[in-house]
Amino acid sequence: MNEEAQFKLQAYLDGELPAGESAGVQEWLARDPEARALLAELQNTNAALAGHEAEVKLPETRDFFWSKIEREIGRQSVAATAPSRKSFWARWGWRGLVPAGGFAAVCLLALHLANPGAASAEFVPELELASDDMGAYTYRNQEDGLTMIWLYDRSSAAQSAQSSTPAILASK
Amino acid sequence: MKTDASQSSASDEQLVEAARQGDMGAFEELVARHRDKIYARAFSMMRNEDEAVDLSQEAWVQSWQRLNQFHGESSFGTWVTRIVINLCLDQLRKRKRQRTESIEEMDEETGGVERQMPAVTVNPTERLERGELRKKIDAALEKLSHEHRTVLVLHEFEDLEYKEIARTMDCSIGTVMSRLFYARRKMAALLADLKTEELR
Repeated sequence: MNEEAQFKLQAYLDGELPAGESAGVQEWLARDPEARALLAELQNTNAALAGHEAEVKLPETRDFFWSKIEREIGRQSVAATAPSRKSFWARWGWRGLVPAGGFAAVCLLALHLANPGAASAEFVPELELASDDMGAYTYRNQEDGLTMIWLYDRSSAAQSAQSSTPAILASK
Repeated sequence: MKTDASQSSASDEQLVEAARQGDMGAFEELVARHRDKIYARAFSMMRNEDEAVDLSQEAWVQSWQRLNQFHGESSFGTWVTRIVINLCLDQLRKRKRQRTESIEEMDEETGGVERQMPAVTVNPTERLERGELRKKIDAALEKLSHEHRTVLVLHEFEDLEYKEIARTMDCSIGTVMSRLFYARRKMAALLADLKTEELR
């Protein structure tokens, strides 16, 4: 007997057989002793389990168990209502630091480019970003004296093509 | 807070309503009424007393937080039971991710020894006393894998249909049928005191 037939027999026992298939299974059972034996085994196992789950009781007193639940509910409700420093920084601190850091980096680069001595052919602008959450790509075209910087949010790097902010600085 | 006489005589629905208004005494009464059932379900799935206590406690905390999501489609006890079952399944999944795949695990879907086992023709539990039978069933359940035990508990003790089990265990109906079939066959062998070595 293959698995499909075995599972069909089980579904018949559990009343999960699609409508119209029960008659076919009954005919099969009438002519196949192996199927009847398997069905009997499944029925015996079900009958043994029915209503015979072991009776286990919580090994703690009512007061002790309740005190733990009450304490946890209280702890979680305090945590949910109290504003934490972490949540403030998560919501406002880093959100403000990313553009501020980007602005600072652009200003630093602009200072370098404004210095004629620094704008030599060998000059490769180096950016030090104020926030780890921010990344930058630079491109320098020596012939045109053009430097382009792309600033992007590392946390949404997948969207960088759409969300990055190019800062184009021209220098001679 | 101690429960008073009116809470002891109130229905679950009345207590739930009072608990929704913030009455911790009413919720304490609900916990007292159903705590053994919730613990028993956690224990039947985890087979570990400490884990079962922790998970049933967590189920009660979550049920307090989600009281507004209980709309009475099932009884309150059944609703909390579903919460503890989901917590147990989460815990079992975490545990499974941490362990390496064994031969026993590979056999869970395909049946292993039970696949070739001839049908157990005698009813092995026919003459047993009720208490004796319970002990024997408990010992047999202990020997099943988590996946086999869970599917058997959900089908036989929680009366869930295949599709509900599939949804709860996050697997296909075919997997449920396979696990249930081999779990039953293994139980039949264990209840008949057949050793898996004897079946090879």
